Amino acid sequence: MQRRSFPSLTVFLILVVAGLAACERRGGCTGENCGTIIDAAVAEPGTLLPPSSEDIVANDIDEQLFLKLADVGMSENTLGDEDFQPLLAQKWEWDGPLTLVFHLDPRARWQDGQPVTAADVEFTFNAYNDSVVASPFRPKLHRIASVTQRDSLTAVFRFRERYPEMFYDAVYHMRILPAHKLRPVPRDQWRTAPFGREPVGDGPYRFVRWQPAQSIELVADSTFFLGRPGIRRLIWRFTPNLQVAVQQAIADEADVREQLVTPENVERARAAKQLAIYTYRGNVYTFLSFNQRAPDDTTKPHPIFADREVRRALAMAVDRASMVKSALGDLAKVPPGPMSALLWIWDPDIRQLPYDTAQANRILNARGWRDHDGDGVRDKDGQPLAFHMLFPTTSVLRRQYALLLQEQFRAIGVRAEVDAVEGAVVNQRVATGKFDTAILSRSNDPSPSSGIAQSWTRAGFGGSNFGRYDNPAFERLVDRAVTTTRRDQARALWRAAMETLNADAPGIFLYALDNVAAVHKRVDNVQLRPDSWAAVLRTWRIPPDRLIDRDRVER
Amino acid sequence: MGAAWLLRRLLASVAIIFAVVTFVFILIHVAPGRPCPETVERAVCEELKRQFGLDRPLPEQYWRYLVALAHGNMGNSYANGRPVRAAIAGTIPFTLQLAGAALVLDFLLGLGLGIYQAVRVNRIPDVVLGNVTLFIYSLPTFWLALLLLLVFGEKLRWFPVGGASDPVLCPVVHSLFCVADRLWHTALPAATLGLVGAAGTARFQRAAMLEVARQDYVRTARAKGLPERRVVLRHQLRNALLSFVTRFGLAFPFLLTGAVLIETIFAWPGMGRLAFDAILLRDYPVVTGTALIASVVVVAGNLLADILVGLADPRLRVRAPTDVEVVTA
Repeated sequence: MQRRSFPSLTVFLILVVAGLAACERRGGCTGENCGTIIDAAVAEPGTLLPPSSEDIVANDIDEQLFLKLADVGMSENTLGDEDFQPLLAQKWEWDGPLTLVFHLDPRARWQDGQPVTAADVEFTFNAYNDSVVASPFRPKLHRIASVTQRDSLTAVFRFRERYPEMFYDAVYHMRILPAHKLRPVPRDQWRTAPFGREPVGDGPYRFVRWQPAQSIELVADSTFFLGRPGIRRLIWRFTPNLQVAVQQAIADEADVREQLVTPENVERARAAKQLAIYTYRGNVYTFLSFNQRAPDDTTKPHPIFADREVRRALAMAVDRASMVKSALGDLAKVPPGPMSALLWIWDPDIRQLPYDTAQANRILNARGWRDHDGDGVRDKDGQPLAFHMLFPTTSVLRRQYALLLQEQFRAIGVRAEVDAVEGAVVNQRVATGKFDTAILSRSNDPSPSSGIAQSWTRAGFGGSNFGRYDNPAFERLVDRAVTTTRRDQARALWRAAMETLNADAPGIFLYALDNVAAVHKRVDNVQLRPDSWAAVLRTWRIPPDRLIDRDRVER
Repeated sequence: MGAAWLLRRLLASVAIIFAVVTFVFILIHVAPGRPCPETVERAVCEELKRQFGLDRPLPEQYWRYLVALAHGNMGNSYANGRPVRAAIAGTIPFTLQLAGAALVLDFLLGLGLGIYQAVRVNRIPDVVLGNVTLFIYSLPTFWLALLLLLVFGEKLRWFPVGGASDPVLCPVVHSLFCVADRLWHTALPAATLGLVGAAGTARFQRAAMLEVARQDYVRTARAKGLPERRVVLRHQLRNALLSFVTRFGLAFPFLLTGAVLIETIFAWPGMGRLAFDAILLRDYPVVTGTALIASVVVVAGNLLADILVGLADPRLRVRAPTDVEVVTA
């Protein structure tokens, strides 16, 4: 009796739900500009207030809500200003070598109807530069001396020095904020201000609602001054991790998963008949960082990794090409230095240390690291050649790499212990120098200047140069590269800098992932800009003959 | 069980909750990790820590927290700036919905199976169901969740693979359709929690029924010639339900701890996921706040179970001073 009634009840409930669904899915939007796109996001933003939001999902959403003065083009060229696309600024001109003048588009409006003015630009710069706001973008603006308004539609940027990426620095890091909305809010309360959860922007989309832990919904601004967006509604649906996000795209509950990351996910997405796969340049590289200072006292050298020759030997013991092939297939490349494929300085011909275990063994022998006690691990003065590799437990890929590295080091008599801990603990330990080695990932913005300097020069001590790599020759080359105006000369200088760094082996550069996105096949004109996939989302569209139920829904 | 007993239990409950909050507060603050992402510059992180008050000594931070808590203020989330009270309040309906659905499934199915097995003890249905429930009970919850997700979500597409509602049709509940949509989204996570719970309840209930079956009053009822159905429902089941009430109290911790995993796997916007994310982000006020609420729920659940047992069993209704402490597992 019971066995028969339970399935009947299930069928009954399904029929009820289906019946109700049929009632709900009535008529609705049928022409152009009707689509709905659901993105399966792997995290929920803390806030949508641009100076306080550094996380990727917040940036994707802010792309739709808040405009920059101009933005990099699909070429990702950051030198000069010729490849930049106007947004809030209709045009610009140089008024002397250190002064840049922007003329705002008079059609630009905040979504509450107020015009966007040069006062907003000035207010924005001051806010980003205020230590109380604690914006992560503040260090990137240090070469801009001031921003003032000449008139209501003219903003003037003055720089401290002349360099090729002045324009990039002026426009890329800041999204213009509505002064009339934010000026009354004390800056030490910006992180908790309601504006961050119900923003009023000037972009192609308007904020509709934020359902905590569920979704954020935006709707197209049909009066947007740069043209009506092709998709009517955008929804970011929050999931707790990558696997759940990929599963939602495969199950047709989401239209976009912008990064699939692993070969298994790509295969699963390829098998889903409604999804199309797009590959674009990645902006992340992963490396094994050697800490050159002692973990218990950062004023002292590390007993193993302060020795350049030992670092070189370890780097030569790792077959990076085979590791990429076995772990990631065609989804990644071996980076020719600390860079992702996004950067224009990427050049596979940059000289790197070869994979040569015989040479690695010779170097270690020469440095006195031999297996004196026959336990299979080299030692010197009673100290074994052994260290820990730190990485976050949540990264399956880094765990896989840690095990591969462990094997390769073992082959030359080096013991590497795997040390998987929580992400927050990794952050704390690398920031305070309490590690031997760590498998870290870095994302690049399109410019090599800020990221490389911050992570690999003295400027990054106490910042993101966690391994405390320090080579004045490298820094001189970087300094020259970032101030050279000619692209070919800059490229040559960057190459020389990278070769100097590679010879010092401050880390082993393991892989640079290509980004692979899964997007619903009904979506047309899909363009994914490598540094920010959602930057030109407003140009995507869904032709009327491909609309599905969720595109037509009217509320 | 009288007023004095209830007062003692209430005071003990408050002490337990206070101890839990203190323990969690200290533990999360001394645990390694910092409430800033890896990419945030140290100077920026230090400024944020100053704004959060983390630059002050731990006893001072604790005192400030207690004072704020006494005023009903649980602080603001470090991750998103929202008041913790609002963040938790937003998740509780979802956790209650999930836990409620799981509890209903757990008890209805578990109770039914337990009774069915008891009346057919040592026969084939009892042996088969005994092994099946043991198998399900021994399954890790997350494994069952992934299995259901793969089969009924991804392959058959009968149920959604995540979330609490359809974000296009029902971002908020505004129609009967959206109520059904909510229930449809609840199906897989509730089934995961409920099935594992039901397997345990069935085994528990079967044992309780068999224990009661050996009692003199059941034998007497049979000897009087009462119909078997009446013996089972009136005499056996009624008395066996006492242990079921105790299990009701124990279900709360199981549902709350299980919910952390299940809410994460099914992208369910409940308190478990909120707590899990907060731990990863070292969002101290949210961690402490969720621990506080969870301890209140667990303590209240146990207290309620004790009261229900006392009400259901006349032998335990003894007034002070010869008060009898009700002991539950």
